[in-house]
Amino acid sequence: MAGVEVSAREVSWVERMVVDGWIEGAQSVQIRSPHDALTSRMWGRLKLSADIDDFFGYVSVDAQKNWKVDSETGIDVHEAWLEYVADGWDARVGRQVIIWGKADGVQITDIISPPDYTEFITRDLEEIRLPVDAAKFRLLGEAVDVELIWIPFFKAAVQPSGGNPWALEPDIPENVRVTAAQVEEPETSLENSEIALKISAFFSGLDVAASVFYTWDDNPAMHRTVTQNKGETDVRFSPEHHRMTVFGFEFSRPWSDFVFRGEVAYYLGRFFEPASITGSPLKKNALNWLGGLDWSPGNDWSIIAQVGGIAIFDHEPGLAADEHSLSGTVHVSKKLLRQTLTLSNMLYYDVREQGFFDRIKTEYAVTDDLHLLAGVDVFGGGGQSFGRYRDNTQVWFKAKYSF
Amino acid sequence: MLSKTSAFLLASAVLFFAGQDMLRAETMQMMGREIMVMEDERPDGDDRTSVMKMTLINKRGSKRIREVSSFAKDYGRDKKMVMVFEKPADVKGTAFLSWEYDDPSREDDKWLYMPAMKKVRRISGASKNEYFMGSDFTYDDMGDRNVDEDTHVLLGEESVDGHACWKIESTPVDLDDMYTRKVLWVSKVAHMVLKTEYYDKDGLLKVYRVLDFGKEGGFWAVRYSEMENIVRNHKTVMEFRAMQYDTGLQDRLFKVSSIQRGRIR
Repeated sequence: MAGVEVSAREVSWVERMVVDGWIEGAQSVQIRSPHDALTSRMWGRLKLSADIDDFFGYVSVDAQKNWKVDSETGIDVHEAWLEYVADGWDARVGRQVIIWGKADGVQITDIISPPDYTEFITRDLEEIRLPVDAAKFRLLGEAVDVELIWIPFFKAAVQPSGGNPWALEPDIPENVRVTAAQVEEPETSLENSEIALKISAFFSGLDVAASVFYTWDDNPAMHRTVTQNKGETDVRFSPEHHRMTVFGFEFSRPWSDFVFRGEVAYYLGRFFEPASITGSPLKKNALNWLGGLDWSPGNDWSIIAQVGGIAIFDHEPGLAADEHSLSGTVHVSKKLLRQTLTLSNMLYYDVREQGFFDRIKTEYAVTDDLHLLAGVDVFGGGGQSFGRYRDNTQVWFKAKYSF
Repeated sequence: MLSKTSAFLLASAVLFFAGQDMLRAETMQMMGREIMVMEDERPDGDDRTSVMKMTLINKRGSKRIREVSSFAKDYGRDKKMVMVFEKPADVKGTAFLSWEYDDPSREDDKWLYMPAMKKVRRISGASKNEYFMGSDFTYDDMGDRNVDEDTHVLLGEESVDGHACWKIESTPVDLDDMYTRKVLWVSKVAHMVLKTEYYDKDGLLKVYRVLDFGKEGGFWAVRYSEMENIVRNHKTVMEFRAMQYDTGLQDRLFKVSSIQRGRIR
């Protein structure tokens, strides 16, 4: 019962400290020839928390040995923050993962913590978010909370690169030579800070929230300099992160066995990539939207269906993305054997490209602390979203021990 | 052949005894409801905290442990509750917040915080028939069911483990309820259910027994109980400790912002 002011008994320092964590091993191989290993790693997280009356400290340290992605091997501090809780407000300062939004497995307003696509989206969703060094202040009202976040240090999204099996070479025409400059990231300064404000209300039968995030795009726009040289085309990429403002709105409303959810993010001034390798990214406004339905019919079934898309305003034909894109997800899970065995299927489907990613997963709790997991990730269809990973269709195994 | 007078007297007698039976049944139903209201309104303070440990025992005797810290506060006839999962390790820190309304026509509000996802999700309020953490208790078994969601008939008086009890049969008003009926034994002294038999369409499904109870902080409380699933040969032993009443739990504990922190303060 750490943290609850119900006992007058003296609490010792040992009782105020809690150590826990997990260690997992994961292995995956391509189903298609040449049946290479795509994932091979051991990963552990040690979590230490200390409850000192109104203060709460938390540190988590990751240690990983990755046989497929060298850059992942090492020890680093995942989160380290200090929290103060007062009557009517609280504050958390330090390295932390901040997650917004109502969507399941899709990021709409959830853009405070940048994504880590080292293993594309095949990692557990919680491990796709990178922590940010930030200060978070919340004013807590009767039914309405106001949240203010200041992020003084920019952190970019992580994309697979180098020898990573998820780093795929782009299609480059024969007579085109491509070079790339270093990514231009914003310097650390007060004016380059990111600021987020969110107002959330929790009523009986309805949750709503509105937000604004003055941020940098976590993904750089790939600006290009194109020169012609003896019948060949030289393209020099100059990746650069740009400022943008994102207005968000989200809600969820339960009704009987259902929960209806919705989320929109209006991007003011986001760069979109061109279809042609010699084109230029264009700055546009866009609306990213999602509607979802959770159904809990009982008997440990859970069904979540979502549909969403991106609408680009003032769209131009040279852009890689359509004016309106549409995608959907369906997540079905069933618990069996007294909730020790979970079977689930998560399907992502891109309507325009007819590409899909389907994760079929089974998880069995051998003991309360030791879980064995196995599954198949199937990539298929066409296009650049999922279809290009078709050769990475894989079968995987994982063992996770929590302590 | 009966004379007209004899026939009239016989008919009157039949009607009288039938009327008596109906009156008796109505009285038993009234008494059944009164006893269940008494049980429902048994004093348990304005707020309460406890640590609940569940031991799930399967037919081979192997055990799994679930441990939950629980905080609840009354708001008139409604109740707000927070449960924080302590064990097993993979769900540690999961927090469940519910605002439970006495009015059966009003859906409860429920939120779930999952530490791995680091966010709070609204969950639907209607799925009360799901089993709690793989145990033999459904959410409804553990919750505060409105008395008028069932009709209650007093069957008689019996003792359970030496404790004098009223024996009540409760039949759900909602025909889609997972149980077709329950038989309950309510202590005459503690006004607490000491035993329940749960029946479904196939017959006896589960038996709930209180193994130890007594006064905690001046209020009658269950210390040990068990729920045995007869059909599946599975049992859950529930133990309550660190029970405290009227400690003045603050309202802020029962807000979404509280479980969003990943700890309760």
